[in-house]
Amino acid sequence: MSRISELIRIGPISGFRLRTKLLLLALTTLALPWAGCQYAREMETVLRESEQQSLLAVTTTIAGSLKGRQELLFREDSLPAVSSQNARDITPVVLSGAPLIDGRPDEWDTDSRSLIRVPGPGGDGLRLLAATHERWLYLALLVRDDKMVFDASMLRPLESDSIGDRIWLAFDDKRGGQQQLFLSSTGLGNLVARRIETREYGREEATEEPRIESVWQRSRDGYVVEIGIPLTMLGQHIGVLVDDRDRRGAARASYGTLEVADLRATGRLIAASPDLSDHLRQFAQPGVELTVASSTGAILTRLDAPALPGDYTRMRGFLPRMYRLFLDGNALPRGVSQAERQRAAEELTARVAHGKPATALFAGRYENSVIVAAAAPIFSADGKQVFGVIQLAQTADRWLTLRDRALTRLLNLTLFVTLFAVVAAFWFAGRMTLRISRLGAASETALGREGNLSRVLPESEAKDELGDLSRSFSSLLGRLDEYTGYLRTLAGKLAHEIRTPLTIIRSSLENLESENLSSNGMGDNAKVYIARAREGSERLGAILTAMGAATRVEEAIAHSERQRFDLTALVRAAVGAYGGAFPQRRFRCEVPDEAVEITGAPDLIVQLLDKLIDNAVDFSADGDTISVVLSADAASAALSVANPGPPLPPEAATRLFESLWQSRAESDKRPHFGLGLYIVRLIAEFHGGVAEAANLPDNSGAIFTVRLRRFGHLQSPKIQSM
Amino acid sequence: MKKSIAIVEDERAIRDNYAAAFAREGYAVRGYPNRREAMAAFASRLPDLAVIDISLEDEPEGGFELCRDLRGLSAELPIIFLTARDSELDAVSGLRLGADDFLTKDLSLAHLIARVNALFRRVDALRRPPEEKQVIRRGALTLDSERMSVEWNGQVVLLSLTEFWIVYALTKHPGHVKNRQQLMDAANVVLDDNTITSHIKRIRRKFQVVDEKFDAVHTVYGMGYRWVE
Repeated sequence: MSRISELIRIGPISGFRLRTKLLLLALTTLALPWAGCQYAREMETVLRESEQQSLLAVTTTIAGSLKGRQELLFREDSLPAVSSQNARDITPVVLSGAPLIDGRPDEWDTDSRSLIRVPGPGGDGLRLLAATHERWLYLALLVRDDKMVFDASMLRPLESDSIGDRIWLAFDDKRGGQQQLFLSSTGLGNLVARRIETREYGREEATEEPRIESVWQRSRDGYVVEIGIPLTMLGQHIGVLVDDRDRRGAARASYGTLEVADLRATGRLIAASPDLSDHLRQFAQPGVELTVASSTGAILTRLDAPALPGDYTRMRGFLPRMYRLFLDGNALPRGVSQAERQRAAEELTARVAHGKPATALFAGRYENSVIVAAAAPIFSADGKQVFGVIQLAQTADRWLTLRDRALTRLLNLTLFVTLFAVVAAFWFAGRMTLRISRLGAASETALGREGNLSRVLPESEAKDELGDLSRSFSSLLGRLDEYTGYLRTLAGKLAHEIRTPLTIIRSSLENLESENLSSNGMGDNAKVYIARAREGSERLGAILTAMGAATRVEEAIAHSERQRFDLTALVRAAVGAYGGAFPQRRFRCEVPDEAVEITGAPDLIVQLLDKLIDNAVDFSADGDTISVVLSADAASAALSVANPGPPLPPEAATRLFESLWQSRAESDKRPHFGLGLYIVRLIAEFHGGVAEAANLPDNSGAIFTVRLRRFGHLQSPKIQSM
Repeated sequence: MKKSIAIVEDERAIRDNYAAAFAREGYAVRGYPNRREAMAAFASRLPDLAVIDISLEDEPEGGFELCRDLRGLSAELPIIFLTARDSELDAVSGLRLGADDFLTKDLSLAHLIARVNALFRRVDALRRPPEEKQVIRRGALTLDSERMSVEWNGQVVLLSLTEFWIVYALTKHPGHVKNRQQLMDAANVVLDDNTITSHIKRIRRKFQVVDEKFDAVHTVYGMGYRWVE
């Protein structure tokens, strides 16, 4: 619980280093690409909507231009009766290219609705396919016939014994007349279309109609006849009839969409006027496909999309693909088949046939490609009836490409900016961390064990907040320095100031004693009081001496001369002497066998040892063994004093050697001012060494170690004058 | 005729206490609070001995100047510095200016009087021919405890009184180690270890002035010093 509340209080990232925090902060710039994507999506939506609207506007305009012009759609003024659909009606599919008239209609892009089946004598007789392209109507007759019979001669088409299988083609012409033509041939290949004309005296003559092209070709179960007729020849009705004969001149078996009796065409041709294409072409735009359908959904004409100018291919490469993935996700459909798209287009047409324009989006042929479509109804002149629907379709590739391009540019830019921000933040954080840690380290060492503070901190020249911090640190340290300086000199000053009144007391007491001795007029009680007063003044004197000890050592150090001497002999002799001085303690001395010569002041080393032993004695109990160990290598000598006793308090390790610091109990009778170990430190530093304190490994006591440099140039430590 | 002692001390209570003690011993005592008054008096009549405090009223180093001026008036006049200061530097400066002894105010009156007596004794003794029985000879050393003079290889070594008593204590039983306390007792001074150390140092240096190879005072670390012949 407490951990959670702690986390709440300090925030989730406070556990990180400054550098990590700033890095995380810099990573928030990654929101920029996200925002960019949102923007791009928005842009895409707006683009698409405006595209749809403009497409719809164009569609409505075209629909308006076609209002009441059913003759363009259906090649006549009267509207086809939608309800009275006839099985013989021919609804040609609109081809996207002109087919080759070769008797093989397999390249036709047809569907089942344009197929008309007419049963023959032996079941399935004729299948009729119809298609238009531009100004032509194409018919394909797939005839099941186990026996193909050709005409005997092209020259005698009307003589009954030479007549083989024949195809009749009948249609209205524009003036309302009936045209009846038959197609015949003496072999496979081109057929000739001829019209029977009655001349004078009832003589009948076959006249060739050269505008109609046709080809006869054998198929697996019969034959195929492919016919091309210019739409300009055709009126509203058209039909075909097959005359099947088993041999030349034999009785015919006729079947087809014509009336067998009078060869009249009753099936309607649901196809647009060729003028419709011309009319629509004026509205053609690059990339826009125009389709006109009847209100029943039969496509009347289609104007293919002219190629788009410029390069609108989508951008390739790793990054754009990643962006698209990031942006689109699965929002857009994959590529779909032609049939599906057609179904979607038909649905749109059906919707619009009720009289209201609409727009729609289809999945395109390719992955992620989208088609925008708009459709509008074409009304009759009175505006009451919808007789057709115009649909405009456009691939959305253009604005998708535009979007991709803008997005790629945006994302590249933001990615670069992010990278830059991250690098900049990292650099800034690194620099800041470096500066702060430098300042921290400097302030730490300034406040360290050294009694003397250095007041010059790094960054004090900087003009920013760190500079302010450094300067306030400096002034704080300055004040602290003055304060510790004052504290350090206080003992000496006090000792000096107290000494004069003490002298007055002491000399007065002595005079008093002498006077009374000589006059012999002092009572015993008075003598006791005088003795006590003297005792007190002597103790006061001892206190003053102790208070001034550090000052005197500092002075002694300042006037010390270095000499070469044997540390081994010194330690051995001194420890021997301590045995006499402190009979309640045992001393163990461990020194190397050989002499350890060092350059320094032996008197000071003895003092140092005195202080360490004093300290060890104070913190140990009677009968304890105090160990003094000397070890040395080529460069330095280590002198350690270990005593059993209470372990050092944790804060002692750094402060122990400071002036005026002590951790001993107050019950002690001897005056202590926390100067002993400070003196140890001063002397160690004079010898180019350091003093350290630690607990014994099993916490059974403390060990103080002084490391001294043996030779070489020793720097005089900085002594602060009192 | 009573010997006259001049006490130059700005602290009136101390001055009067010292004056009373000296008067009890039969000395004629005159006290002066500052250098100006002291010099004015000395100009007309010199005392037989002067006890001078270092800091005098508004002059922190006034005692040193007074000592220098006094030495200018008389080369033989015994001068004792008596001060609340206990710094090594002050002691060295004072002795270098020609003072005969440098004592801190921690010293008891009895000790002070003993020192003054000893100093008078030395002055008197120097005026008399030497008496053999007071003379200790240790190799090159000749020490006259009556006149409190020391010679090394026949050359006079000028020691202060404290230094003399230290050398005296060491040479009385050559080879014996004297610890610091013993040396302090011998010199009738209360000094801390450090001051004893600097006295020993100064003694060695003074002997080395007359003999560069002087090495008779040995340090026994942690214990004290001994005289080696």
